[in-house]
Amino acid sequence: MQSDEQLMLEFKRGSKVAFEELFSRYRNPIYGYFRRRLSQSPRAEELAQETFIIIIRGAERYEATARFRTYIFGIALKQLWSERRRELLEARTAEESTEQGPNPDPTTGLWIRDALSRMDADHREVLMLREYEQLSYEDIATLLAIPLNTVRSRLFRARSEVRILLDEQSVKEVSR
Amino acid sequence: MNHEHPVSQEELMAYGDGQLQRDHARQIAAHIEFCAECEKAIADAKFVSLRMATWQAEKAPEALARSVQAALEARPRRKEWKSAYGWLTKRQAIAYGFGGAIFLMAAYAGAFLLFRYNEMREYNSAKSAGLAAPSEIYRAVPFLPTAPPPGGPPAPPEASAREQLGQGLAGRLQVDKTFSNSPSGPMIIRTVQLALITKSFEDARTRIESIVLESKGYVDQLSIRSEPKSPKGLSAVLRIPDGNLTSSLTELRKLGQPKEESQNSADVTGQYVDLVARLSNARNTEQRLLTLLRDRTGNLKDVVAAEGEIARVRESIERMEAERKNFDNKVQYATIQVELSEEYHAQLQQTLPNSRTRIYNAAVEGYESASDTMLGIALMILAEGPAVLVWLAFLACIGFLGWRLYVSLRSRQRSQVTDPV
Repeated sequence: MQSDEQLMLEFKRGSKVAFEELFSRYRNPIYGYFRRRLSQSPRAEELAQETFIIIIRGAERYEATARFRTYIFGIALKQLWSERRRELLEARTAEESTEQGPNPDPTTGLWIRDALSRMDADHREVLMLREYEQLSYEDIATLLAIPLNTVRSRLFRARSEVRILLDEQSVKEVSR
Repeated sequence: MNHEHPVSQEELMAYGDGQLQRDHARQIAAHIEFCAECEKAIADAKFVSLRMATWQAEKAPEALARSVQAALEARPRRKEWKSAYGWLTKRQAIAYGFGGAIFLMAAYAGAFLLFRYNEMREYNSAKSAGLAAPSEIYRAVPFLPTAPPPGGPPAPPEASAREQLGQGLAGRLQVDKTFSNSPSGPMIIRTVQLALITKSFEDARTRIESIVLESKGYVDQLSIRSEPKSPKGLSAVLRIPDGNLTSSLTELRKLGQPKEESQNSADVTGQYVDLVARLSNARNTEQRLLTLLRDRTGNLKDVVAAEGEIARVRESIERMEAERKNFDNKVQYATIQVELSEEYHAQLQQTLPNSRTRIYNAAVEGYESASDTMLGIALMILAEGPAVLVWLAFLACIGFLGWRLYVSLRSRQRSQVTDPV
């Protein structure tokens, strides 16, 4: 199986098949990345689309100096930050802004979304990149431009918080 | 980390995520084999991950695939540029081509300089052997059927006319080794360097002039140094007839205490003989050309060529004649280079300038020194700046190519890494 970097270099040389393979590998992870962080499903789709379009348009300038996974999630992260800035500029309601993590109507993971929404934003981002995007510590450090040890400590604290919330959840369920 | 658990909670978490170096992971694995508490901590972290994984985002809608596919189709056709070798991109080809051109230019410049250096070395060796411009001696007369020497000028196109005009002659210039002015004995050029320290400078100077007159020689060059707070000095080049050299030297040594003396003798008999032979041949050539011009009739072009050749041979004769006279002069008159110094007696300076004058002088000298320095820097920048710029450009090209190569290799290396996820 070809690596992501090889596929991207082939796409850079003009191979559409290579891009289609890359798209099949990353369409769900990228969409999921936005979907977990945004309340609006159509907006998540739009941003995922924008991310892939940026990759298509920037293929000419692509250099395999970093892992492709880091590259594509780096683009997605910037898209997300732009979206957040846009939301702030449009002065959305405080309710919406605090509700940035949860999905309105999922049937599962309600407590997780609740836990994430209570968490510090920096800790939450590291945890989500690790748990859902499956990025390595090193990739997260590169992506967020923070030291590797910071990634490790933030992740540990975030997991500890989740663990506490999980225990509270268990106690509530037992008390019912 | 504490004394009971040699690993921290964060390290345990990283171990559980498979994010530790192999050696470190092995150490932790060895520890948790006997530590149930740490094993539980890892299991807890994994449990958290498992619980979090229950939140699954829905699959990407098909509309996303369609929109991205449309964007892919709408993508402007890439300007494919492939060289004959396929693997070169346009940028690489331009960079390599530019670098190659720079390299070729440098190689050409190097070869040219080497060629000029060899040429100059050969010329200097020929000159030192008294064979200056050998082509002048062996160059073929334009309208004679003479085969040019190796490396000489190619045969002119008027060869048939020359053959016609040259019939009846020897057909080829013969180097006539017979000469009338051959030296009777060895030709020796003598040179003497003499350094003396004298007590009475003025007396010594007067005496030098009288010695030169007595020996029927002459003073070729004379300079006197006289500066405050330093001894007087005299540098002179004396030309003394070779026969009177010994007696003159004896008299000169009496002027003071000898500080240094050296004598050189150069035997130039071979060079002189060769010069006289070349001179004789050139004269013969001139005579033959004159005879040819007088007796033979040809078209105007041939006549002009013959007269041009005669002028050239005449010039060569005069130059060699001057060289021969110079040889004669150097052999007949020995050269004595005299360095005469007076014994130094320090004296109190009676008239020191006042402080104001000295400050003014120092200021003027400082200003001149500063302006000279600035001018020197400006001249150096003007003289060396372009060359430095060329070198910097050259080195920048090399650096750029190296960087491109490094990036290319790094890209290839990274592209071979298999995506582990």
